[in-house]
Amino acid sequence: MSESFINEAKQKFTTDLVFRAEDVPMRCDPPAEELEQTLHGLMQLNGYIIKSLEEIAGRGANAVTYRAGKKFGHEVAKYFEKKSDVEDALRELSYILHGQYTFEPWKPSDRDEYIVEENGSTFIYLVFHDCIVRQSCRRIGQEQGGPLCQTLCGYVVGAVEEITGRRGKLEIIHTGPNACLKKLILK
Amino acid sequence: MIEIRVDEEACNGCGLCVKDCPMGVFELKSSVSSPVHPENCMGCLSCHEICPAQALEHRGVVPCRRMYVSMKVCRMLNRVI
Repeated sequence: MSESFINEAKQKFTTDLVFRAEDVPMRCDPPAEELEQTLHGLMQLNGYIIKSLEEIAGRGANAVTYRAGKKFGHEVAKYFEKKSDVEDALRELSYILHGQYTFEPWKPSDRDEYIVEENGSTFIYLVFHDCIVRQSCRRIGQEQGGPLCQTLCGYVVGAVEEITGRRGKLEIIHTGPNACLKKLILK
Repeated sequence: MIEIRVDEEACNGCGLCVKDCPMGVFELKSSVSSPVHPENCMGCLSCHEICPAQALEHRGVVPCRRMYVSMKVCRMLNRVI
């Protein structure tokens, strides 16, 4: 039984294709069904790693993933233009997060301004629409707002800190199946 | 602006949407949920998901990408629906 599988696998992975050093693949166009398998595999991998981490480290997992995300955010935004204006920084951030996360500034109807200055700090509410973290959580039935969401928070904070040069914080106010509300605070 | 409709016949007045909404969009009026501040709705659809009677309808919501639903499931649902 196992021998036939080995033979089968060997046959499957044997080709007479010549791959020269200069042959750089110029296209990446596998059919959607193949891409889907890879995407779902990645979502499951991420989800289960974080789920296991939460089981092992308990509440400490949030701090670990937040720090990891923050470091990643700093690394990614390192080469981006520095902006002191919050709106410009958010535009830069949306460029960094493009294709993975989409967000928009948000305010309750009783508030006049999106960006609020209060006691030397600035805050703004952000509604995250598309989010790969949410998709990963929902793919494996994991609750939102846990360590994987903290990775995103750290990532955004790291990127914003790098762009603005100010210390930041991102609080999760609400998580939902279609959008999440977060509060970005800059000190 | 997002428009919210409540099927008053279906709503069982459990108040889950009132508790869940962080923006206080809903209020219970005569044991039926009523969207009193629809202008504050950010379209998270938590209420939509949590409603046991499926009595809520939102119009004008930006749908997020849902790549976690597999194509196989979609095909099956399309066949059924």
